[in-house]
Amino acid sequence: MKEQNACGCTPQTLAMASVPMQEWCEPYDLATAIYSGTLFPCLNLNFFDAEDIPSPFRDKPAATKATEHEKALREVCKVGFAVNDLTLYLDTHPDCPHGIKLMKELLQQRLDGLAQYAGQYHPLTQLSIVTGIPNSNQYEWDEGPLPWDPFGSESEQGGLL
Amino acid sequence: MWAYEKRLQYPVKITKTCPKTAQLIISQYGGPDGELSASMRYLAQRYSMPVKKVGGLLTDIGTEEINHMEIICAMVYQLTKNLTPEQAKTAGFDAYYVDHTSGLWPQAAAGVPFTSLEFQSKGDTFADLFEDMAAEQKARTVYENLLRVIDDPDVRAPLKYLREREIVHFQRFGEALEMTKEKLDHNNYYFFNAEFDKKMLRK
Repeated sequence: MKEQNACGCTPQTLAMASVPMQEWCEPYDLATAIYSGTLFPCLNLNFFDAEDIPSPFRDKPAATKATEHEKALREVCKVGFAVNDLTLYLDTHPDCPHGIKLMKELLQQRLDGLAQYAGQYHPLTQLSIVTGIPNSNQYEWDEGPLPWDPFGSESEQGGLL
Repeated sequence: MWAYEKRLQYPVKITKTCPKTAQLIISQYGGPDGELSASMRYLAQRYSMPVKKVGGLLTDIGTEEINHMEIICAMVYQLTKNLTPEQAKTAGFDAYYVDHTSGLWPQAAAGVPFTSLEFQSKGDTFADLFEDMAAEQKARTVYENLLRVIDDPDVRAPLKYLREREIVHFQRFGEALEMTKEKLDHNNYYFFNAEFDKKMLRK
């Protein structure tokens, strides 16, 4: 189809569905984004049955029992999620300058965050063994809890997210 | 090519054992609208997609669905990890326990095993994208049903997150539909299969 209308979609035709293309909207902060499941407020309309759920990503000083280690992993998850959501946006909006700019910032944050986490705790990716722990003689890939087992099956682990 | 990152896309930390909840949530592992069939659907469909960007989107969403499968499995695992023999008798979980103890096995909430009959790879761009959009809506319904019957906030938070991902994916598949329509030969709009009749694609 040649012409496009204002929403960026092809002209409507009988027997063919149309979905308006998303326009860029100011993204949430990273904690709100992962809690909500999207970076974009325009894709997050009310769902009343889930409004009572407290956010694990907003640390109210009195309410949180999270350790420093848990908080550090949440930071990695926040940046990682923003990259994941923006990846899909850019798949269908490859020329959007706002999206490209934010993606480059987030990828840098992700690279730095993974190295920092590896240096302080344990590597989450194999590459962060060399970016985060460059002077180590060990191969740390088996360190830290398995992702599905934050409490750790073995006694020396425990209390990790 | 995939590379593993040792964390969940959304962290899961459930302290309360509850085999009943595990029995319901397992449907999003191996059930008809679950994350396993979602990832297999998109990763199967992508090869013959005629529009490169749509093949890329299917790869990225299919990859994210594997992350979601891992989140669901982590939830089922944590809900049943410290199961007592008494709790194993919980109505609904007892039959699963007999066959799988507290191991993970892809099945629907009603016990039907995972099967590729739950999804389609039709080799037709529009048939496949409409299926994908419908799949996201069906999965959203399952998450809403789960949110209405489960009280534990440690379980509800990841379910709320996963529900919203279905909505975002629906939007992206809708955008993929628009991107594909732009590539069609206007004179043969309804009656061709862009994946098979390649001459019908606009240059």
